[in-house]
Amino acid sequence: MNPHNISGPQVEEEFKKKATVVTIFVFTLLSILLFRLFVMQIIKGSYYEGLSQNNRLRIITVPAPRGKILDRSGIVLSDNRPAYNVMVMPEDVSNAHGIAAYLSGVLNMPLAEIEAAIVKAKSKPYDPLAIARDISFDQVAMIEARIFNLPGVSIEAIPEREYLYQDLASHVMGFIGEISQKQLEARSDEGYAPGDLIGKSGIELVCDDTLKGVKGMRIFEVDARGHRVRTIDERSAVEGTDVKLTIDQNLQAIAANALGTKAGAVVAMVPDTGEVLVMQSSPGFDPSIFTSSMTTEQWKGIMDDPRHPLENRALRGAYPPGSIMKIVVALAGIETGILNPHARVYCPGYYKIGRSVFKCWQAKGHGEMDLVDAITQSCDVYFYTQGRALGIENMARYASMVGLGAKTGIVLKDEATGLIPTKQWKRKRFGQPWHPGEDAITAIGQGYTLVTPLQVAKAMSAVVNGGKVYTPKILASGQPVLERDLNIPKSSLDSIKEGLRNAVEGDRGTARTVRDPAYSIGGKTGTAQVARGYVSKLPDEADITYKLRDHAWFFGFTPVDKPEIVVVALVEHGGHGGAIAGPIVRDVIKAYYLQKELSHEPVRQDIR
Amino acid sequence: MSRYAKISDNLDWGILTTTFLIICVGLLCVYSSTFGTGNSIFIKQLLWICIGSLFLILAFAVDYRTLMYSAWPLYGITVLFLLLVFIIGREISGAKRWIIFGPFRMQPSELAKIFVIVWMAYWGEKRRHIQIYSFRDLLFPGVVVFIPIFLILAEPDLGTAGIVTFIAVAMFLMLGIKRSTIISLGVLCASVMPFLWILLKDYQKKRILTFVDPASDPLGSGYHAIQSKIAVGSGGLFGKGFLHGTQTQLKFLPEHHTDFIFSVVAEEWGFLGGTVLLFLYLLLITKIISVGLKAKDRFGALLCFGIASYFTLHVFINMAMAIGIFPVVGVPLPFISYGGSFMMINMICIGLVLNVAWRRFIF
Repeated sequence: MNPHNISGPQVEEEFKKKATVVTIFVFTLLSILLFRLFVMQIIKGSYYEGLSQNNRLRIITVPAPRGKILDRSGIVLSDNRPAYNVMVMPEDVSNAHGIAAYLSGVLNMPLAEIEAAIVKAKSKPYDPLAIARDISFDQVAMIEARIFNLPGVSIEAIPEREYLYQDLASHVMGFIGEISQKQLEARSDEGYAPGDLIGKSGIELVCDDTLKGVKGMRIFEVDARGHRVRTIDERSAVEGTDVKLTIDQNLQAIAANALGTKAGAVVAMVPDTGEVLVMQSSPGFDPSIFTSSMTTEQWKGIMDDPRHPLENRALRGAYPPGSIMKIVVALAGIETGILNPHARVYCPGYYKIGRSVFKCWQAKGHGEMDLVDAITQSCDVYFYTQGRALGIENMARYASMVGLGAKTGIVLKDEATGLIPTKQWKRKRFGQPWHPGEDAITAIGQGYTLVTPLQVAKAMSAVVNGGKVYTPKILASGQPVLERDLNIPKSSLDSIKEGLRNAVEGDRGTARTVRDPAYSIGGKTGTAQVARGYVSKLPDEADITYKLRDHAWFFGFTPVDKPEIVVVALVEHGGHGGAIAGPIVRDVIKAYYLQKELSHEPVRQDIR
Repeated sequence: MSRYAKISDNLDWGILTTTFLIICVGLLCVYSSTFGTGNSIFIKQLLWICIGSLFLILAFAVDYRTLMYSAWPLYGITVLFLLLVFIIGREISGAKRWIIFGPFRMQPSELAKIFVIVWMAYWGEKRRHIQIYSFRDLLFPGVVVFIPIFLILAEPDLGTAGIVTFIAVAMFLMLGIKRSTIISLGVLCASVMPFLWILLKDYQKKRILTFVDPASDPLGSGYHAIQSKIAVGSGGLFGKGFLHGTQTQLKFLPEHHTDFIFSVVAEEWGFLGGTVLLFLYLLLITKIISVGLKAKDRFGALLCFGIASYFTLHVFINMAMAIGIFPVVGVPLPFISYGGSFMMINMICIGLVLNVAWRRFIF
């Protein structure tokens, strides 16, 4: 060790004065503590002694009513109603048998069960125990009448979540349930306690902080028998803030009705803002049953249902896009300059790449096609050709740009990503190179591509509004989020829209099922093959078992010139798009206009 | 060989004895506060004390000046661990404070307390020609110390960040700062305060507000405060006796083996017990300061002053919280609160002080 030139005495000299000050400071700090201890323990000792001796301070939390969930016009979708629970404070119970005997008569529950529960709860004497939840008014009256003879028993009125339209938009609403151990650990500083209800999915989860409100509490003193002597402090619960959605309850109901018992999803969106007007997934569920009193059978029934009613198909269901992909291919072709909208392609009914033959859905062929014709008649050969010319990388780029194959960014949780294949992806996934034939089938929306109905709504909104890609928005508050603007030139946009309009209104259009002479509607069908190559060999569609039947897509928008609403419907195993999914879209569009007329707003009619 | 023969002669037995007595009080309290829940916490605490003692011996055995030469690497390790918390840290109650190594977990912010002391002592030694620090002299060490503080703030761990800040301030004051600089920095801090308030998380704001008005949240941190006060107050002059503290035994008081352990002392041993414990701490801290004064170099002296400020802050804040004159912050009581890494740090601190005391006789 090298010697130091400051030796002990010098250090002492330097610090002596400061050290004295510090010592005095420490002494003062500790003296403050001592003084305070003296005051608390000696002078006010008997006061605290009293408080502690019969520590009869009871704290009762009063749960806060959750905020309501409203639709865009203020219609209440989710509210609270009072539910009455029978609570027992084990410490205050002197005669468990007597209490159990009375309660069993009123509640129609086995005496032994109640008594056993109370006795068991004695190990945690200050944790209130719920004997029965959500009892009837009569039962409340019968217990309240005898409450003085039932020390330790109380009736607690708590707000119970109620969903006014049962399974309407149930996936958007989500549900609430008791806080889990994990959530409790993660959020213990926010005032959560075991048994608290917390949003578990949907808006209830996402907006939990807004909706939950502030718990109230009552601190009161009780006597030796458990009766309240006086209230020491009271703070009433503060109701949570309401959350307003962009959902239109009326259109949502129409969509739900049109979907009926079919498994599928409907999404409607305002193309100029990304506001989601409809998000319905079927089959649904009634969120109310999750709140408190769900039985094991109910839970099992939901979990074991092969049609997965808890799954939000609009957000979580990933399907091949079918012919809806053709619109993206058209966009990519025009934007890259590879596709000339007016150039004609001859469709003989098939398309050859090397020795492989790709069929058009129209076996006898469409003949000469330009872009408008090809969209109108959904000509496969035209798009095989364009897909080959563009190549997968161009198609993938534009698909991603309009929001396909990626989370849309909506606030709801657990969105599916979907998939847009690329050469690199295929090499990584299968260790194989990309085949030219895969360009062709990708261009008509078969193959590896997977998209969700919400992604389709987002992408199609961007196409029909001229290239503005908006993040889907479901909360009424906040501004629309513009992700990017492709600035599609008017001439290109017109060709695509013209094709979409003709698909509905033209004699050879594939989307004629949504035609309504009163309105200007554009649209496109899509049929997503489930078992590739297999289905077409079967002679009759009716023979195809449900599971192997194609998924039916339909996307429609209206009015064509200045679109106000985009509607996307998907029916799982629905067969051909136009026949099954089309009418759903038509119903929503009609309801949209009807609603506008009722609200005395002039409906914009296209003049052709 | 001859100089090691005198270990026992030159050892500061006073500090060692005081520490031992405080540890004994702590063990009794941990035993009492976890009584009836199985002995596992008590046994673990015993184990930590044993391991801690080994660290104490280690911190004593190696010449403390070795630390001076490794001040920068130790500082680097601290910052590295603090950064690591953000990457692999375990999130508990919305804050990332822990790193998990298999069965062990550690709080890097605890390391920061000791290594900031070491670094500052090193800096004081290295720049021993500066007797009075001006604003310019403060700039570099100020930034160096601020980095770990900032990282701890970001975890967020307001309590620990505050303690490290106060330790650093105390050590700067020991080094000597120009009066004008003190005044201007004081004004600066006061003007920055309102902005810091905006940066606080909601629950942190709530805790401070709860302190101002305990009734505003009687279920959360207010509940702790109320129950702790009842426990302390009801202890009276002689206390309710070992294992007879009703507040503690009936589980009215949460976290009574960690942050609120002083209320166990006060409830079960009364004003007398509390006074004895306060006296023991006062003894320990003043002894550490006097070791610092007699140190043979500036590094050793500053090390001791830093450690003294560390113990003072912990003792004061923890007790003040238990008796309701300070907001509820997670600051444990040295040698008494349950906790492994905390016990370890405390033992190392005592080891270092003994080291400084012992080596002043060796040249």
